[in-house]
Amino acid sequence: MIAQQIINAVSLGGVYALLALGLAIVFSIVGLINFAHGELMTLSGYALLAALVFGLPFPLAVLVAVSCGALAAVAMERIAFRPMRGASVTSLLLTSFAVSSLLKVVFQNGISARPQAVAMPGWMTGAFSFGDFTIGVGPSISIVVSALALIALEVFLRRSVTGTAMRAAAEDFNVVRLMGIPASRIIATAFLLSGLLAGLAAMLWVAQRASVDPLMGFTPVLKAFIAAVVGGLGSLPGAVAGGFLLGIIEVLLQATLPAAIAPYRDAIVLSGVIAVLLLRPQGLIPAVRVQRS
Amino acid sequence: MVAAARTESKPRGFMPAAFRNATADALCMVAVLLLVALAAFFFGGVAMQRVVTYAAIMLTAVLGLQIFSGNSGIVSFGQAAFVGLGAYATGILTMPAALQRTALRDLPQFLAGHELSFFAALALVLALAVFIGLLTGTPLMRLTGSSASIATLAMLIIVYTLLVAGREITRGSQPFYGVPREVGLWTAAAVASVALIAARLFRETSFGLASRAAANDERGAAAVGVDQRIARLVAWVVGVIAAMAAGAMMAQFLGAFSPRDFYFDLGFTMLAMLIVGGMTSSLGAFAGVIVTIVVIEVVRRFEGGGEMLGLHLPVLFGLTQGVLAIAMILVIWRRPTGLFGERELNLLRRSGRTPEMASAPPRQVGADRLVADHLSRRYAGVVAVDDVSLSFETDSITGIIGPNGAGKTTLLNMLAGDVQPSAGTVSVGGVQRQASAFRFARSGIARTFQNIRVFPSMTVLENVVVAARQVEPDLAHAEAAAMRELFRMGLDKFADQPAARLAYGQRRRLEVARALALKPRFLLLDEPAAGMNAVETAELVSILSAVRAERRIGVVLIEHDMRLVMNLCERIVVIDHGRVIADGTPADVQNNPAVIAAYLGSRTARAKAASPENQPA
Repeated sequence: MIAQQIINAVSLGGVYALLALGLAIVFSIVGLINFAHGELMTLSGYALLAALVFGLPFPLAVLVAVSCGALAAVAMERIAFRPMRGASVTSLLLTSFAVSSLLKVVFQNGISARPQAVAMPGWMTGAFSFGDFTIGVGPSISIVVSALALIALEVFLRRSVTGTAMRAAAEDFNVVRLMGIPASRIIATAFLLSGLLAGLAAMLWVAQRASVDPLMGFTPVLKAFIAAVVGGLGSLPGAVAGGFLLGIIEVLLQATLPAAIAPYRDAIVLSGVIAVLLLRPQGLIPAVRVQRS
Repeated sequence: MVAAARTESKPRGFMPAAFRNATADALCMVAVLLLVALAAFFFGGVAMQRVVTYAAIMLTAVLGLQIFSGNSGIVSFGQAAFVGLGAYATGILTMPAALQRTALRDLPQFLAGHELSFFAALALVLALAVFIGLLTGTPLMRLTGSSASIATLAMLIIVYTLLVAGREITRGSQPFYGVPREVGLWTAAAVASVALIAARLFRETSFGLASRAAANDERGAAAVGVDQRIARLVAWVVGVIAAMAAGAMMAQFLGAFSPRDFYFDLGFTMLAMLIVGGMTSSLGAFAGVIVTIVVIEVVRRFEGGGEMLGLHLPVLFGLTQGVLAIAMILVIWRRPTGLFGERELNLLRRSGRTPEMASAPPRQVGADRLVADHLSRRYAGVVAVDDVSLSFETDSITGIIGPNGAGKTTLLNMLAGDVQPSAGTVSVGGVQRQASAFRFARSGIARTFQNIRVFPSMTVLENVVVAARQVEPDLAHAEAAAMRELFRMGLDKFADQPAARLAYGQRRRLEVARALALKPRFLLLDEPAAGMNAVETAELVSILSAVRAERRIGVVLIEHDMRLVMNLCERIVVIDHGRVIADGTPADVQNNPAVIAAYLGSRTARAKAASPENQPA
């Protein structure tokens, strides 16, 4: 029972961490909190549904869905955010808010306002047993995928030229541009990575619920915003830490709160988050940023 | 209210110009609002009157959002939550007792059976709003831009969760019904008028000025004594009050509602209204609400589908939201400051200003002393300032020179209270002070920055008034003092222009004028002549020496322009590698071998020392 709860907590935390990390990558480079991140997730969910309906084998369908998320993120940057380069952070934030609302309306009218069932393979809902413990396959996959994605991202950021440039850009974008690295490439890569992570998170989310609806990405991404802020806005390790922390606290409260207080869970978690911010306004692991006098 | 404001503004000729102008603007907007209401009353049907009533309620809520977001520059996603709290509070307070017993069986005793009238309930709700505003605003004070926005988002979710979970009080996600519908056109118009006047006047209060300054440039604001946390908190509380007043009206307008009515959709609509009109002015909020309501009313007709010009239109979910989203994107893209720009109406300013130039002689300051005692500052592995002890007197001009990276700016930052020393203390008039930029500014240490930090979207006069307000509680006096400083710097004719329009040299002078408006005993200047040409520099030199002579303040300046330093300063401190290597008159310093070594290299220094004439170039 306890083992099961821990697995659940870590798997939910993993999803939040992937989403928060995607938000943090974009924020660290462009200074934008992308409200439409949730819609990238929803879009990937629909892409999976479509791919399965067209009869693609499951692994291929997942691949298609995740790439759709990544491409959609790049397209979003091209269409909505690139025309506004140089605009204030507030303008970007509000634009993404509007894009998010618009996409929701498009999903509602273009597809359906109602949830659509996704036929997940049977083995995903199974469980294995170790003696007394029963552990769900879904949450376990979720943990493995989150861990692999985090490691792959870390390797990319440390070892590749673009990755190194991105880490530098997070501290001081202007200097990176002066080094002859095109700004557009860095920004596009940041969005690509965030879309990729949103796509992965969507797969893990759908795997446990077996349906998609226009608001699918809404709640998890809201949580991811909070996770990114608690971790330290723009700090990648902070986003991961914040994501896991939020997921673990949510599941623990879910398991331990008495029934009378359970409906207040989100309010309790978020009040806790605000209390953390009172003590550490820059977040748990603050981002490093240059300051000029 | 309208009449009261008018009688107040007329006889008091000494009412500050900013408030006179703001009152005229507010009354003009109120007049438009009342005309629309009158038109709806006489010529519109019931449906039209409901639209105008709804518009007035939304206007109150959006003005609340404008008061916070427009002045502090922080987008709030949480405003809808406070509309909701106001609505539920009013619903419970005004519900008929009999109905309440059936609809809300488990309502706690102290909330039950009040049956208040609308205005009695409104008064209670507004008092509650002050409390809620302080409670929710406190955590916001320490957060920066985007983090604060996300914190308001968290508040929206918290309040929504509470409304859904608190079944005994709110009926949970089921509709809350049975609220008497007493709010009509005139109540809504009256409350919205008060909100309009409040929002327009708030900009000009010291809190409004301070939060706008901090939104423009946080460090610049602290340097003129602005405590941005308090300013932001006050703006937040006033915004919450307006939101809850709107909620109170919404409750009695709708009669029945559920938590979902006060969640993201409402928040989005409010933001869209504000952004379309222009976030930074009450005029923007006013115009944005009018434009958006018209758009919503037109679009709503198509939402249900049907026949139109022979075309069959399908039912479209959330068409209004979609259209608002597109409107918002277009406005941000084409006109980032909103349809009605960032300027208020400024009715009285257009007719031209007649500044009463009472050239009162500037006050001379008493003798004082600014002392750095064994100051050090280390940054991860680098010692920027290393055990510096210096003392500066009033009625003197001291230059701090040294090679790039010597630690001059760090030293100045510590003297201005902007950087916490790693070791050592700064004391003013014998009293040790904890590092705090705004407290230092208020206690007579004014400064300028190497990269100019004026407030670009505020007018030139407002830039200086922000500083003058810190030492002069009365706005009329602060305005007069600010005008005097502008006149002194030759900027008086630009008083009503946004500071962003000034040329580079003028901005430098504006920054000095702003610093002087704090009536400082010490003025710290970080490279005041950087980027200026010879003529501008000469002008600056004459102004600085005149100011020093008139007011006997102590001037400390960092400068690389040696001619300026040697002409202007009577004492020069040379810093290299964070340490003081020379301190004395210009002539002493020019001959000091250590200084020559630091600037020109040690070989040149030896050659100079060896040469018989030993004359500086």
